[in-house]
Amino acid sequence: MTVSLGRVLRKATVTVLAVLWLIPTWLLVVNALVPAESYSGSPHWLPQGFGLFDNMSQAWDKANLGPAFGNSLLYSAVSALAAAVLAAGAAFATVVMPVKRPALWFWAIYSGTLLPLQVFIRPLFLSYAHSSLYDTQFGLVLIYTAVAIPFAFFVMRNYTLTLPREVVEAARMDGASWWRLFWQIHVPLTRSAMIAVFVFQFVAVWNDLLFGITLATSRNIRPIMAALADLQGNYSNVGPPVVLAGALLVSLPTLVLFFAAQRFFVSSLKIHS
Amino acid sequence: MSTSTTDRPATGGRGTPPTGEKHRTPVRHGWPARHERLTAGGFLAPAVLLVSLLLLAPFVWTVHRSFFADTRTSPFSWFDNYTRFASDPALTRSIQNTLLWVAGTVVLPFVLGLAIACMTDATRFSRLARLCVVLPYALSGSAVAVVWNFMLTTDGAVNQVLTAVNLDSFAQGWLLTWPGNTVVMIIANAWQATGVAVILFLVGLQSIPPETLEAGSLDGAGAWQQFRHIILPQLRPVSIIVIGMSLVNGLKSFDLIWVLTQGGPGRATETLAVSMYNETFLELRPGAGAAIAVVLTVIVLAASWLYLRRQLDVKGG
Repeated sequence: MTVSLGRVLRKATVTVLAVLWLIPTWLLVVNALVPAESYSGSPHWLPQGFGLFDNMSQAWDKANLGPAFGNSLLYSAVSALAAAVLAAGAAFATVVMPVKRPALWFWAIYSGTLLPLQVFIRPLFLSYAHSSLYDTQFGLVLIYTAVAIPFAFFVMRNYTLTLPREVVEAARMDGASWWRLFWQIHVPLTRSAMIAVFVFQFVAVWNDLLFGITLATSRNIRPIMAALADLQGNYSNVGPPVVLAGALLVSLPTLVLFFAAQRFFVSSLKIHS
Repeated sequence: MSTSTTDRPATGGRGTPPTGEKHRTPVRHGWPARHERLTAGGFLAPAVLLVSLLLLAPFVWTVHRSFFADTRTSPFSWFDNYTRFASDPALTRSIQNTLLWVAGTVVLPFVLGLAIACMTDATRFSRLARLCVVLPYALSGSAVAVVWNFMLTTDGAVNQVLTAVNLDSFAQGWLLTWPGNTVVMIIANAWQATGVAVILFLVGLQSIPPETLEAGSLDGAGAWQQFRHIILPQLRPVSIIVIGMSLVNGLKSFDLIWVLTQGGPGRATETLAVSMYNETFLELRPGAGAAIAVVLTVIVLAASWLYLRRQLDVKGG
């Protein structure tokens, strides 16, 4: 009797929580579907008509989401890839190679992830302005890569520590150079960790807003979240369905990645812990 | 949980390269060692250079900047920028908000995440329920802000529901008055952040050996007693990570506040992370902005220590 009562209570609590959680998601989807011109001024709770693609294309045009979308794809892919490779190299050096003072190098790289971004932005803004990196794609790729490296390094290093050393030693004795060893043995061995790092950092760069609004300003350079913030700023002009469709649109790549690479997400969280 | 960090053949392994070298010494002398160090430097250099030029140098510069006045000529001003925390009401409010955020982002995702992870099981219903909670985690802070703006604006969903159930008196401009606006943003943040706590707690639950639970139920422990005396103590390591992560994320949260209120109205919803941006780029007080950044850094480092401490001995740092 008590057991079943407990079970019923538990199920009820879970249901209530799940429904509460679902409401904003539900409203996001339903109201992004409502054709913008037939939006009545108060939120819809049930789907009515299908204006999703219209709304998305309106958002795409009005907030210049197009170039921003391409930019963010570039920034996220290049920075995440560069960070994964450079971090793998640094982890290789500190763990596999007989380098002096590995702890010093560890902290020299890892410390970057402990600091809040606010502590970097003004000096970066000034030096970017001086060196004409301000408002350039290269400048943004550079800072996103630098910000992604410390945590990527942490994950890669932890993963590298678990690898058997015999493979490397055998290859060394066969006279393979460190460079060949890295690309032909180490990279394939650490591939799963590198994918986890890539996915994780891709999402982090894609979702960034702070650097996007401080180190870029023009519409054909700024990343996607800066464009979304801009669209939200025009909330009363363009109307809720368009803004919500825009939010949905910019979230699609990370949603897809999240579900496609759920395994990697979980494993990168595990490595983090 | 920490398989990857704990079993490390490298401590013993760090001694191995010299033995490997011993095999090679007949072939190569003197310069191979230096050559090796150069190669290692080549592998390290890009990461170290990028981090030190783009992150560590700006950090040092900001600390330095925080001791100089706001004007362009910038005379050395000791701790003047820091004393502003006591005198400027906007910054006092910012500190209060930051404390609220820390409390809210630690308690809400922790309690809700633990509850959902423990109360669900492998059934289809449970997995669906968990999916509902984890889903928002895939959204960005900016997208979450858009969704919650839709919920909270004057003609938004929350007020619509309140009016529909004849609670008009509770309908209000949720983002307009303090402290309500900070509280609803903390709830919006919890809506997003609980997902990761659920995932982490599930991982932690999987690492509990089922025998201990069976032993507990054989001894006649009820569900609550099992949770209290068997599950909870074994989730301690995960709990520390969840708390540490939420704490640091709460302190760093910027996107949500920026897109929802830009720290307004009248700087009422700023946290330190937002105040730093406002002081530096909108109020054009770089000295004050730098001081805020430094204070934020100190708090973040102290909070990180909470969960880093466990990993330090493992790292050999």
